[in-house]
Amino acid sequence: MLKYIIPTVMLMPLTWLSKGNMIWINSTTHSLLISLTSLLLMNQFSDNSLNFSLVFFSDSLSTPLLILTMWLLPLMLMASQHHLSKESLTRKKLYITMLILLQLFLIMTFTAMELIFFYILFEATLVPTLIIITRWGNQTERLNAGLYFLFYTLAGSLPLLVALVYLQNITGSLNFLILQYWVQPLSNSWSNVFMWLACMMAFMVKMPLYGLHLWLPKAHVEAPIAGSMVLAAILLKLGGYGMLRVTMFLNPLTEFMAYPFIMLSLWGMIMTSSICLRQTDLKSLIAYSSVSHMALVIVAILIQTPWSYMGATALMIAHGLTSSMLFCLANSNYERIHSRTMILARGLQTFLPLMATWWLLASLTNLALPPTINLIGELFVVMSTFSWSNITIILMGLNMVITALYSLYMLITTQRGKYTHHINNISPSFTRENAIMSLHILPLLLLSLNPKIILGPLY
Amino acid sequence: MLQRALRLRLGPYLSGRGLGTYRGGSTLDWDGKVSEIKKKIQSIFPGGAWSPLYDTSHLPPERSDVVIVGGGVLGLSVAYWLKRLEKQRGAIRVLVVERDHTYARASTVLSVGGIRQQFSLPENVQLSLFSAEFLRNINEYLAVVDDPPLDLQFNPSGYLLLASEEGAAIMESNVKMQRKEGAKVCLMSPEQLQKKFPWISTEGVALASYGLENEGWFDPWCLLQGLRRKLQSMGVLFCQGEVTRFISSSSHMETGSGEQVTLKRIHEVHVKMDRSQEFQPVECAIVVNAAGAWSGQIAELAGVGNGPPGTMQGTRLPVEPRKRYVYLWHCPQGPGLEAPLVADPSGAYFRREGLGNNYLGGCSPTEEEEPDPGNLEVDYDFFQEKVWPRLAQRVPAFETLKVRSAWAGYYDYNTFDQNGVVGPHPLVVNMYFATGFSGHGLQQAPAVGRAVAEMVLEGHFQTINLSPFLFSRFYFGEKAQEHCIL
Repeated sequence: MLKYIIPTVMLMPLTWLSKGNMIWINSTTHSLLISLTSLLLMNQFSDNSLNFSLVFFSDSLSTPLLILTMWLLPLMLMASQHHLSKESLTRKKLYITMLILLQLFLIMTFTAMELIFFYILFEATLVPTLIIITRWGNQTERLNAGLYFLFYTLAGSLPLLVALVYLQNITGSLNFLILQYWVQPLSNSWSNVFMWLACMMAFMVKMPLYGLHLWLPKAHVEAPIAGSMVLAAILLKLGGYGMLRVTMFLNPLTEFMAYPFIMLSLWGMIMTSSICLRQTDLKSLIAYSSVSHMALVIVAILIQTPWSYMGATALMIAHGLTSSMLFCLANSNYERIHSRTMILARGLQTFLPLMATWWLLASLTNLALPPTINLIGELFVVMSTFSWSNITIILMGLNMVITALYSLYMLITTQRGKYTHHINNISPSFTRENAIMSLHILPLLLLSLNPKIILGPLY
Repeated sequence: MLQRALRLRLGPYLSGRGLGTYRGGSTLDWDGKVSEIKKKIQSIFPGGAWSPLYDTSHLPPERSDVVIVGGGVLGLSVAYWLKRLEKQRGAIRVLVVERDHTYARASTVLSVGGIRQQFSLPENVQLSLFSAEFLRNINEYLAVVDDPPLDLQFNPSGYLLLASEEGAAIMESNVKMQRKEGAKVCLMSPEQLQKKFPWISTEGVALASYGLENEGWFDPWCLLQGLRRKLQSMGVLFCQGEVTRFISSSSHMETGSGEQVTLKRIHEVHVKMDRSQEFQPVECAIVVNAAGAWSGQIAELAGVGNGPPGTMQGTRLPVEPRKRYVYLWHCPQGPGLEAPLVADPSGAYFRREGLGNNYLGGCSPTEEEEPDPGNLEVDYDFFQEKVWPRLAQRVPAFETLKVRSAWAGYYDYNTFDQNGVVGPHPLVVNMYFATGFSGHGLQQAPAVGRAVAEMVLEGHFQTINLSPFLFSRFYFGEKAQEHCIL
């Protein structure tokens, strides 16, 4: 694991010591190289996990998430170049340092073997994200957004700390290798119920669960592009990953405790999709669609069947790439027109046809078009929830319809129709932007050829 | 605590408008608490002039989708229709920047307040017809919950335009066109005129056109306040400041025929606060120039007209302020309550004001007599020499009148063809115009606002086709001349 951590840490001196015109080139190239080395993680020797040391490990659940994290850093750096071009050099370096720090914490989180280590890093990822949102966001509301983001997550995860310390006292070790063998069925008592809640709430807030999702639209909309990308693609998946790990020792209480959360997620999935239909702000629409997709993941994790676990992991990877790409597209719009309102920038297909292709592909993957991995994830989840309870298929079907509706609504409003007069002189798509889009969509499309690598440990 | 810490990290021009949402209300009411904390700190550490927290609630927001320069009736009308025609509530963020909230020199409130359909261009007639309908139903358009209804004091007394022998044929064809558009105008011969209005002297009059419906005058201040109130309820932000700079970017492009043009896009509007050097850069997507008499200056700031003359690049916005006087007099034997707004062929006009035999009137000076628009001082000699004789000739009762007061206001005079400029500029792609109406802007404001909002939201005029009023006519030389100017 040090073979990833040390290069990532060394990216920081690289940025600080580079000359002004080389910081972007250096950091992007080197982070791209690091992301290519992350593919080595795929070489899993056993069905269990690839243990690097007593501190770090990776198994087939964390591997795709790790690769996604490391793949996203060069893309974030490429996407941030334009809006940082007017800042001073120190500010640019600070920004890149924040991103690298976030990357570092995320790598360590996904490979943490000890649960307290995982918790510390889980909280640590909040700090660089908060700094990015509140310092480099666009509008005054970013203070509010940062506050919501920070305190929702902190309040949710404090009980988790208590529960983990209690568990440490009881079991003597929170190491995954050992915990697997310690697992005893949790009886249905009040204290166990609270322990279940304490363990799960942090991740529910992070996912986010429908009732606790208020921080997400604010944070996504006010964050700068790299902040939105990393939030949508990775930080939400931290919640999913944490839930998948923690449910290991919470059985069989989960079957009983999960009901309210499954209901909330099923209902919330449809509610947030419907809200998307009424959104006028482009980033807000993508943020609410994230909530909707993540609600599917929550349902899948809580019903705990092999198919649903596979669907959840596939959906997490697919959504990470799609959502990040949609945010990049919305940002390319914003940089030209300086407004996030959808109706003020219409008919872009006539002006930027290649960008329209990326819009089309992103919208199609967002609505889970076959044979993309989005569909595989959603299909697995739909099938497993159907077998869990037949009625859920109505809700799932309705959600897929509404998802298709708002994805196409977004596509048609921004790309088709008569163009407005004030977009007459927008600059054509930069190669950098096209590179970002293709680097997002290429893994997505290639994975549909071999989806088994993202299907997680139960494949 | 955290909020203070976060504020300290912000630079001097990033405004911290409390923790309120952008819609205007602050949910946590930090601003009051912040000033209390400030006072406490200052009492503990007396003497220091530096304070780390400053109140920025008077500044406009850092971002807005549409910035409307000018808060007169045209600017407010554009804002109203933008908010009304948006497909979902809260879709567009509009900021209205007005330099003077007392409207001391604004053309809207200094106007005589008349509305007529008797124009020579069909587009003008359509605009006035819609505006009349808007004004009649103003309490449906501008209704605000829990607020009293508006009383525009609309006097539907009509306009009476008099024509001499030379102008009679033109008047007749105009009236025919107006009737086709739907205005209710009747033509009267001198005998009918004398019978209807006995106080008038029909000497030199060959034909008269009298508007029967939807013409008259109203209170422009009431319309302005009604619009402001409605806009505040719809979530439009108002700001008192002056636009001093546009930050824009240019790109060189080639037209289909190989000509080189430079297209410009405005990125930011710098709004300077009153009596201070403080300014706020407002990032915007669209700028609407509704600055009235000062639209020319705003257009110059945006770079309209910077170029070799004779090209589209070098075509300036030909709107300049022209001073017009309005005199208020008392005449006990004057015309009664049925008196319309009478416009003499010589250019003098008057109308009844109130019920106490008071009258308002004036005259448009010729090009040589144009007064200096530097200030709004009134020249009473102009009344003695030019206006009174003409009035007295038309209405013999006006031989004995006593001037009570007078005021002066600006026309946003379009020197090209005295008609409005509406729509986008071909080269500065995100600047839209709604100005230059040369004295008939107030009466056409509701319809023009709708037209500009349609242009912004849909991309073309939907209800009334104002393509003859686009900016490009200044370059192509296609005058949309309005002959009936008061």
